[in-house]
Amino acid sequence: MSLAWFLQNLVNGLSIGSVYAVFALGYTLVFSVLGILNFAHGAVFTLGAYLTYVLAVGEFGLNGLLAGMTLPFKLPFALALLAGALLSGLAGVAVEHLAFRPLRKRGADALLALVSSLGVALILVNLIQYLFGAEIYSFPSDVLGTLPPAVILHVGEGLVAMRTIQVVLFGVSLLLLIGLAWFIQFTKQGKALRAVAENPDTASLLGISVDAFILGTFFISGLLGGLSGTLIGVSFGLSGPYFGVAYGLKALAVIVLGGLGSIPGAVLGGLVIGLAEAFLPPDMSSFKEAVPYALLFIVLLVRPQGLLGKNAEEKV
Amino acid sequence: MLELKGVTLAYGPVTAVHEATLRVAQGEIVTLIGANGAGKTTILRAVSRLIKPKSGAITFEGRDITGLSPDKVVRLGLAHCPEGRQVLALQSVRDNLELGAYIRSDTAGIRQDLDMVFGLFPRLRERAAQLAGTLSGGEQQMLAIGRALMCRPRLLLLDEPSLGLAPIIAQEIFHIIANLNQQGMTILLVEQNAHMAMRTAHRAYVLEAGLIVAQGDAKALAGDERVRKAYLG
Ligand SMILES: Nc1ncnc2c1ncn2[C@@H]1O[C@H](COP(=O)(O)OP(=O)(O)O)[C@@H](O)[C@H]1O
Ligand SMILES: [Mg+2]
Repeated sequence: MSLAWFLQNLVNGLSIGSVYAVFALGYTLVFSVLGILNFAHGAVFTLGAYLTYVLAVGEFGLNGLLAGMTLPFKLPFALALLAGALLSGLAGVAVEHLAFRPLRKRGADALLALVSSLGVALILVNLIQYLFGAEIYSFPSDVLGTLPPAVILHVGEGLVAMRTIQVVLFGVSLLLLIGLAWFIQFTKQGKALRAVAENPDTASLLGISVDAFILGTFFISGLLGGLSGTLIGVSFGLSGPYFGVAYGLKALAVIVLGGLGSIPGAVLGGLVIGLAEAFLPPDMSSFKEAVPYALLFIVLLVRPQGLLGKNAEEKV
Repeated sequence: MLELKGVTLAYGPVTAVHEATLRVAQGEIVTLIGANGAGKTTILRAVSRLIKPKSGAITFEGRDITGLSPDKVVRLGLAHCPEGRQVLALQSVRDNLELGAYIRSDTAGIRQDLDMVFGLFPRLRERAAQLAGTLSGGEQQMLAIGRALMCRPRLLLLDEPSLGLAPIIAQEIFHIIANLNQQGMTILLVEQNAHMAMRTAHRAYVLEAGLIVAQGDAKALAGDERVRKAYLG
């Protein structure tokens, strides 16, 4: 239990936790505007990872419709990440058009959108499998170019390894979180977005186009999803078209832990779960997948509204 | 300026307003009075496109607005201060007012109008940084009216601006309404407080269970026996 041990776990926990936070924020944004969870978010996460992979590596795998095909170009990782994220944002927009808008226009029960988003998720995942095959895709080790794989710090007697990819994860996530917080808190459009979230009718009486903001929210949400999918994919590989499902569930645990609909809650929840996983003793590592839910269970016993959630009177 | 022709409005199978026809001319204050549940709010919500008419046409400055979305109508110069205040409780007073000017981008003009609203309602200036949800009922009503003014509307729809206010504050609000009108703003005023509304308005419509049952010059209507009995007690 040395300082080095502590710092190492802190580095591991913060880097993965910050990605959980970004991913979870995608759920939170849609939830705070529509009051519904978008179950296709995990599928967009997966799609983003695959798209970025193809853009960065320039070729498809050995199975699926696109097997063996190559792109005429390969993008540097940073560009591929950006392009993959933007395409995921568009996928988010498509999800809105397919699963949410038709029901909203008919004034249907919000719960129905939950089901239709689950349907779109299944379609997306199957489409990915159809196009990319069911095999594992691993980003090549040189995907980050000539950067060294890790920086080793000497702390007292011990060593702390900061993998370059961890720095990328944490850096990109932090940048996004700060950018998003600034946008929502201080810009005119951010304030308008909060108005739409609080009361769509009132917002529209102020000249704010509710439909446009809902679309924008799905775009940002998809962008966050695709980006976090890529970041996790680069760290751990893409274990197949269903790889977003487990992370999707984990991100749901994150937002409930942090407080449903709370943006700071999603960030805190992500970091807490990332750190809890990192600090899990090695001999308990087979329980790692259960950590988020165990934590969730304990927190909800004490604070049913989650860490930073408001009392349940607002949106359900 | 605003014209409704045979507008029928319904919630699901239940008709709330039957073939309403009414007109607001440039420069007027027109009031729409009627008991609770008569359909006043429903009519205003139809004008600002929050609900779609079953039949009939709504035109604003000669333009058919029946097919527009609510935000487009605001851009045409029509502001709606909704019933029950509806301030954005989670945002500051200043942000509420600035969002009132959402459709505008003339920074200098917006600042000027912010000063104008603070001039009308000095209480709001003192509380500019406070969350709107922490204001008193009367202050929230002032904020809602001020916010509607921030888009520089040519036509202002006001839904029960005096509801739940102390009489002295209500009087102040009616005074401000009359002043705004003198400065050239056209106003459609919905009220249960028929006394004050009839005194402030030029013309009036009386709505009863979804039907317009009387209309005319406000002073003349106020003298009408039937209207007196029903609304002016
Ligand atoms: N959202 C709604 N759903 C169903 N019926 C409604 C709704 N809003 C109003 N109504 C009904 O429509 C009628 C008119 O209501 P409203 O326009 O609010 O009256 P007013 O503003 O004159 O008090 C009432 O009978 C009311 O019960
Ligand atoms: Mg009403």
